[in-house]
Amino acid sequence: MTDALATPALDTTSNQKFSDLKTALDRRGLERLDLLLLTVEALDLNGGEAMVWATQQLGFTDLFPNRVELWKRRCTNPLRRSTRRTALTSAETEALIRILCAMADRLYPMLHQLLSSREPAALTEQRWALVGQRLRDLVAERMNLRRGSVQKLLQDEQGASIQRQLVFTLALAAGPGGVDRLRASLEDPTP
Amino acid sequence: MLKLSYRYDQTAARLKVEGLPDISADHGDGVIGILSTWTLQFVGSPELEGKREHLEAMLATVLPYARFRLSGVSRRCGDDASPVSLAPAEDGRHQLELRSSQPGVEPLSISLDDAELCDLVRCLDAMRLDQRVQIAWPLSTDRPLARRELAERVPLVNRLAPSVLGGGAFLLVAGLVSLLPLPEVKTPKSTSASTEQPAEQPAERPAQSAPTEPATPQAE
Repeated sequence: MTDALATPALDTTSNQKFSDLKTALDRRGLERLDLLLLTVEALDLNGGEAMVWATQQLGFTDLFPNRVELWKRRCTNPLRRSTRRTALTSAETEALIRILCAMADRLYPMLHQLLSSREPAALTEQRWALVGQRLRDLVAERMNLRRGSVQKLLQDEQGASIQRQLVFTLALAAGPGGVDRLRASLEDPTP
Repeated sequence: MLKLSYRYDQTAARLKVEGLPDISADHGDGVIGILSTWTLQFVGSPELEGKREHLEAMLATVLPYARFRLSGVSRRCGDDASPVSLAPAEDGRHQLELRSSQPGVEPLSISLDDAELCDLVRCLDAMRLDQRVQIAWPLSTDRPLARRELAERVPLVNRLAPSVLGGGAFLLVAGLVSLLPLPEVKTPKSTSASTEQPAEQPAERPAQSAPTEPATPQAE
């Protein structure tokens, strides 16, 4: 059972071995992956530090030895203000997915609170407003504001719908089985 | 042999499975190889229970539904004949329907919100990936969706716009081209008349030349 007081045990159970995977994401998959990592930072003020910690705990320090390397890999997102053209290797992609799922598992109580209809409506609204504002600030700081999809995130109505889908995605990606599910979803073709 | 029981809790959902080791499969003492019964409890909902086939149906319905929702596709999983079906509701919730195999029992319908659905998915994942529960569940691995499965995620206007615009552009160009005057085409009749006239003239010339011959003068 998820216990907010206990030290979170990172769970990235997957049916497939790390070395056997050939995870390759297209442009849209990279955008979604970085946006989900950004959502984690919006949910947790210490999200950046937690990501570095998760990298160490999961044994990915050979791929991302420090926070700068982790940041460089995230900048392969084409929507970023400063994009790096170096493509992610399949090992780096898989590592980022597992780090994301570990972070989602750690934040699951908060995700549950946001998605639950049993919480007081006023309190839920305040929580969403806080998360939404943090996410918009991060998007405005790091993303290319001339892109249409970035502008959608910053709009009130469309942005709220996208934010809910992001939180729902993180909740479904948390826990055992979440890694395989999220990986398959990120590999979806562009419709 | 003591019956084994394992419980999987997740905030608003609790899944409990009971069973026995399968000796023929060399399972250890702490491994459930034969599932005898299971129960599922949601906060504020009646407790559900069933046999292995019902849990199999639950896994075969809930996990694909979650997979589709993760990709932004709202699609019903499980039909009216299935023991379990899960469909999106109009208010954004998820309608879980369970049909008993016993005759005369009305289907049970439970409305889940997003959080409860995630709890259920986590409980099912924890159970199926638990090394202590060695049951061969007939599940397919998570895979990327096909484009046609993702099509419903795109608004209808965006899907139809390219076809409508392309067809309209074609009709417009065809209409404009049809207004252009057709080029003149020379008919075959005029060309055959011009070839016959030179043949007639040589025949007329001898008739015309006869009167022009001077008459021979007669001697007085």
